[in-house]
Amino acid sequence: MNNLLNKELRLVIHPLYYLTALFGALILIPNWVYFVALMYVLFIAFPNIFMNAKAQNDTGFSVLMPVRKRDVVKARVMSMSILEILQVLVAALFVAIGASINPKGNFLIDANLAFLGCALVMYGLFNLFFFPMFYKTGHKVGLPLLVSLSIAFVFSSIIEVLVVMVPAVAKVLDGNTPSAMISQIPVLAAGAALFVGLTWLAYRLAAKNFEKIDL
Amino acid sequence: MEILSVQHLSKHYPKFDLKDVSFSLEQGFIMGFIGSNGAGKTTTLKSMLGLVHKDGGTVSMLGMDFDQHELEIKQHLGFMFGGVDYYAKTKIRTITEVVRRFYREWDDSIYNKYMKRFALDESKRPSELSSGMRIKYSLVLALSHHAKLLLLDEPTSGLDPVARDNLLELFQEFIEDGERSILFSTHITSDLEKCADYITYIENGRIIESRTKDDLLQAYRLVKGTSEQLAPVQARLIANKTHAYGFSGLIKTADLESADHLEIEEPTLEDIMIYYAKKEGLNE
Repeated sequence: MNNLLNKELRLVIHPLYYLTALFGALILIPNWVYFVALMYVLFIAFPNIFMNAKAQNDTGFSVLMPVRKRDVVKARVMSMSILEILQVLVAALFVAIGASINPKGNFLIDANLAFLGCALVMYGLFNLFFFPMFYKTGHKVGLPLLVSLSIAFVFSSIIEVLVVMVPAVAKVLDGNTPSAMISQIPVLAAGAALFVGLTWLAYRLAAKNFEKIDL
Repeated sequence: MEILSVQHLSKHYPKFDLKDVSFSLEQGFIMGFIGSNGAGKTTTLKSMLGLVHKDGGTVSMLGMDFDQHELEIKQHLGFMFGGVDYYAKTKIRTITEVVRRFYREWDDSIYNKYMKRFALDESKRPSELSSGMRIKYSLVLALSHHAKLLLLDEPTSGLDPVARDNLLELFQEFIEDGERSILFSTHITSDLEKCADYITYIENGRIIESRTKDDLLQAYRLVKGTSEQLAPVQARLIANKTHAYGFSGLIKTADLESADHLEIEEPTLEDIMIYYAKKEGLNE
């Protein structure tokens, strides 16, 4: 498994894509839709990495190594999850900076820990749709990306609308004062747990689909 | 010991069927896998490796069932599917560093020895190498992890005669110790005449012959005769071609009769392929 992950990082994912995590800096913009800041990794890294892997015949190479077909899927799901987690970590840094320079908060959801928890759920949902769909063919990226990005967009829109319209939701998810942030830790933890669960499920379904296809 | 055994392998596609493919290969020999384009060579190789799901049959390598011991078997296999066509713009050094970690028995001294011998430059990228060099690089990768069985899909296609001859010599060297074997598919039959011990011939998804090259060549005869002589033998011929002066055809040696008074020649592998392909064409 480590060998495949090493292959992903050395041969498939160009170091440039780690820099997409810096889009987390967009969290410093006052009054904005912060979910968008965390979508750049989905907009840029996912399509490019998958199309690049296809052009390099990465699948053809990987399945000839002494590994199982499902391990090839696992390595890719893990490496892409690493990019998503990296994005959340970098975003956390800018959440901290944003809270100090922009204490009045945001008209939509504030950049806070609950927001990061919701972003993790957004990534989890994206993964759940993207990977199983992609591994039905192992090479077609367009439709899986369109569907999973739409899911991420719908999910984040629902959160934004709830925060604005439903005070009870706003109470749990909104606010960027230190005390509000502390009370949001369970939301972040739940988000992280959901991210892990959804991504694991995404891997299982994707591996099952990939096993079925003839290469 | 049998290093490779394929039994009753089958695979169904909407427009093509691989039917009851069986053959086996002993340690220390080279087997040529021949057949025309689309005969099922690559599909057979891919089904053997689980890259294509087989609908039936069993494959065992190094004495182990492939489905049950895939990882263990793959540790001792070397592959080549059409040269290194992956990571064309990545330096060879980087590709090697990634590949070597996958193999328990990777041997850097062997790797360096062959890289030097083939004058392969690690700082080059696959896209900068000629087809022959790319094939040699995949071979170096296979040799460096002590592969016991090489499965090569058309390794000699696209190479010039000198490079092909070089490669064939290398194959001979590879099996010299009597413990390693090579199965390679090709449609360049002259390569096999130089180095193969066994021939497995596939046409239209079915194995027509699988035996030693010498047996195979002895089992057939190329016959020539006048137009009048064709009628009495035609039923016994595998296929024939007619021309202004008469006919030429392929016949099983066992079906020859001295009363035929035909001109008899030993066929080449190419003759056998051509006449069988002609027969398959007639049946369609």
